[in-house]
Amino acid sequence: MAGLASTIYNSLIRKNTVFLTTIFASAFVFELGFDSISNRVWDSFNQGRQWKDIRHKYVQAEEDEE
Amino acid sequence: MLARTCLRSARSVAPVRNVASKTASRSASTSSSSEGAASSFTMTVAGSAATAVAVGSIAWYFHLFGQEAYAMTPAEEGLHPTSYPWEHLKWNKTFDHQALRRGFQVYREVCASCHSLNRVAWHALVGATHTVDEAKTMAEEHEYDTEPNDEGEIEKRAGKLSDPLPSPYKNDEAARAANSGALPPDLSLIVKARHGGCDYLFDLLTGYPEEPPAGAAVPAGLNFNPYFPGTGIAMARQLYDGLVEYEDGTPATASQMAKDVVEFLNWSAEPEMDERKKMGMKVVVVSTVLFALSVWVKRYKWSPIKTRKIVYNPPVKH
Amino acid sequence: MSALTSRSSALLRTCARQRLAPIAATSMAAQRRGKADQATSSFDSPFRGETSSTKIPSFASYKSSKGETSNKVFQYFMVGTMGMLTGVGAKATVQDFLVNMSASADVLAQAKVELDLSAIPEGKNVIIKWRGKPVFIRHRTADEIKEAEDAKWESFRDPQPDSARAKKPEWLVMLGVCTHLGCVPIGEAGDFGGWFCPCHGSHYDISGRVRKGPAPLNLEIPEYDFPSETSIVIG
Repeated sequence: MAGLASTIYNSLIRKNTVFLTTIFASAFVFELGFDSISNRVWDSFNQGRQWKDIRHKYVQAEEDEE
Repeated sequence: MLARTCLRSARSVAPVRNVASKTASRSASTSSSSEGAASSFTMTVAGSAATAVAVGSIAWYFHLFGQEAYAMTPAEEGLHPTSYPWEHLKWNKTFDHQALRRGFQVYREVCASCHSLNRVAWHALVGATHTVDEAKTMAEEHEYDTEPNDEGEIEKRAGKLSDPLPSPYKNDEAARAANSGALPPDLSLIVKARHGGCDYLFDLLTGYPEEPPAGAAVPAGLNFNPYFPGTGIAMARQLYDGLVEYEDGTPATASQMAKDVVEFLNWSAEPEMDERKKMGMKVVVVSTVLFALSVWVKRYKWSPIKTRKIVYNPPVKH
Repeated sequence: MSALTSRSSALLRTCARQRLAPIAATSMAAQRRGKADQATSSFDSPFRGETSSTKIPSFASYKSSKGETSNKVFQYFMVGTMGMLTGVGAKATVQDFLVNMSASADVLAQAKVELDLSAIPEGKNVIIKWRGKPVFIRHRTADEIKEAEDAKWESFRDPQPDSARAKKPEWLVMLGVCTHLGCVPIGEAGDFGGWFCPCHGSHYDISGRVRKGPAPLNLEIPEYDFPSETSIVIG
């Protein structure tokens, strides 16, 4: 445990520039992950209600007509 | 400077203050003094009078301003709408876009003969209720004015996606003339523009009784609807079972049509709702975590200050 | 509710405790100094029988059992996470404001113009409005195409071959705005059989290249595409 902690401390936190870079990099990663997760949660809240859920009905129908 | 002035003036009123404090101390200790009996009676009378004045003025003030004012009779107010459990009004629900599509059909086949929807453009339907090709086809069914050509004449052209939905009348005057003086309001923002929103519109659309109740005065040319403020509404009942044939096979009862068209009108009033609620959810989640973290950091930063002890080492006597 | 509050505050307190150890140490030192001075002090305690002014309770039970490094890592993690989330929020806010400035849906809907080409006979000009500007569409004849391609374009003021100016040689599509001062040139006019700007006398040839006059550049070509044989989409 202590070994892990000092590894993290020495590699990411000790130098301020590295620490700041880590923060911004993790912000970037976090944003991607958070967006995709919350979009998935949102879609599961609204299953079958959104346009993308019913779009196939109408696009399909038009292709048949042509 | 100011403080010094104040001090000086306080010193000059000191004798007055002395008198006042003496009086106060006397009345406070009346029970033990010799002239107590008469004085305690006056004090009681004065106290009771002051209380009576205070209570009376509060009562008078409440009488004047405290009560709820009803400027209108209940009939003028209109029946308050029932609160319905709208699914799309929940904090985590989008519009049901299938219902929006049905609602647009109802608007187009029923409402559009009198009501405009001129803040909604054809392109707004794309990606919400219709595909690009469907919206284009519908737009092309309507004619719009062109910009003036070389001779300054205004011609007609087929509609494009960038055009707004067509109005049934050329202008408000034409609309009034066609509806015996009543102007059918534009429906784009009607859900936001009426008290009760969706509930009110639904009740209004479905709340027409078979015939007005006994004793209700219905002016000529108006219809009775208890939900409409004043109860006399120029619009007659529009929605009857089976009026529209839904393309998705949903039974077109009057209440189903009313529900669909109200949801569609809510969409036209706030088409950004889906995105707004989704973003709201994200913001709430991130803000909650951020708040908890900031509380922790505050306590962390304050802990040395809050737990310090200041030690006083008095000077040593020689 | 109160149970929740007290529990969460207890949790937070536990988190905040880790900094306490060094402080406790300093105050201990202070206490020791106090005791040494005590014998000769002039201090007169208001508490009966109390001779020492510095009675410091033991903070031992608050002391973190973990090492210094892991406590530091935890503290920096908390602060760093707060910075990260703030960064994400700030970025989203700024982005929303910037997106606000981009073209709105009604502008985007007008940004493309579709036109039926079958209605334009050979050798005819058509002027349409696109994003508030005139667009010239010319159905060029075979002679005109030949003339445009054979011209010695290398010596022109703004040298461009005709192939760079028309996706299909029979259709020439240009913004009808003179590159000099923004007048609208007149079609089928000028010394070179193309366009002529009446304002300051710029002459454009049948490929819309400037040949004479003050204009510095050829007429601008908008983005366009032919989705089918007989239609064009500008934008």
